[in-house]
Amino acid sequence: MAVSWGDLVAIVGGLGAGFLSGTIGIGGGLLFVPTMPVGLRLSQAAAQGTSLVAIIPTAIVGGVTHFRRGNVLPRPALLMGGGGVVGAVIGALVAVEVPGPVLARVWGGFLVFSAYRLTVQAIRQPQRTP
Amino acid sequence: MLVPLQVFWTDTPQRNANANSLVAIIPIAVAALPIYFFRKGSPQIDFHVALFLVIGSVVGAYVGARLLSRIPDRPLKVAVAVVLGLVGLKEVLWP
Repeated sequence: MAVSWGDLVAIVGGLGAGFLSGTIGIGGGLLFVPTMPVGLRLSQAAAQGTSLVAIIPTAIVGGVTHFRRGNVLPRPALLMGGGGVVGAVIGALVAVEVPGPVLARVWGGFLVFSAYRLTVQAIRQPQRTP
Repeated sequence: MLVPLQVFWTDTPQRNANANSLVAIIPIAVAALPIYFFRKGSPQIDFHVALFLVIGSVVGAYVGARLLSRIPDRPLKVAVAVVLGLVGLKEVLWP
């Protein structure tokens, strides 16, 4: 199999997204989906499907590493995982009915609001050593 | 999504919230994959790209996860806020 420049871009992009995934705890899809159509010239649909596949091994490696280092609280993680599975089923069914741009804006709004709240928390938080 | 919710509602320290989120994503992605595959008329997965992405992302995830323990809570929170803010703005402005 010949390795092209596009493949190298994918490896480097994967490295960056995986790094953020490991530190920040995002699945990778958050970064893969918006960047792949630009960086790798995939269609939006292909970006979603491909990122979903790439997320699984990334999250397993990151998750196991976190677990071994004692960063995971097992109970909430299990509950969220279980709840998330139910949410994923409902979400997938809803997503088919709602126009894409509306969905993207609602999601983007949630992210911006979260970023704002986290920043406020970080500012108010007393500085302490970990 | 799981990261901010934990931090706001349950006061989970940022480090644990990030780690929990990544673990919780595993079953979610595993469940979502068949749904995506069967609901879409024509599932589009570029396995060639996925392979090369995974080569990079698995290494990145391992390094990132090891590094997480060393980053203090506040800078970590700011980093999460920056990434969520940028992606959020992109989605709002150019959905």
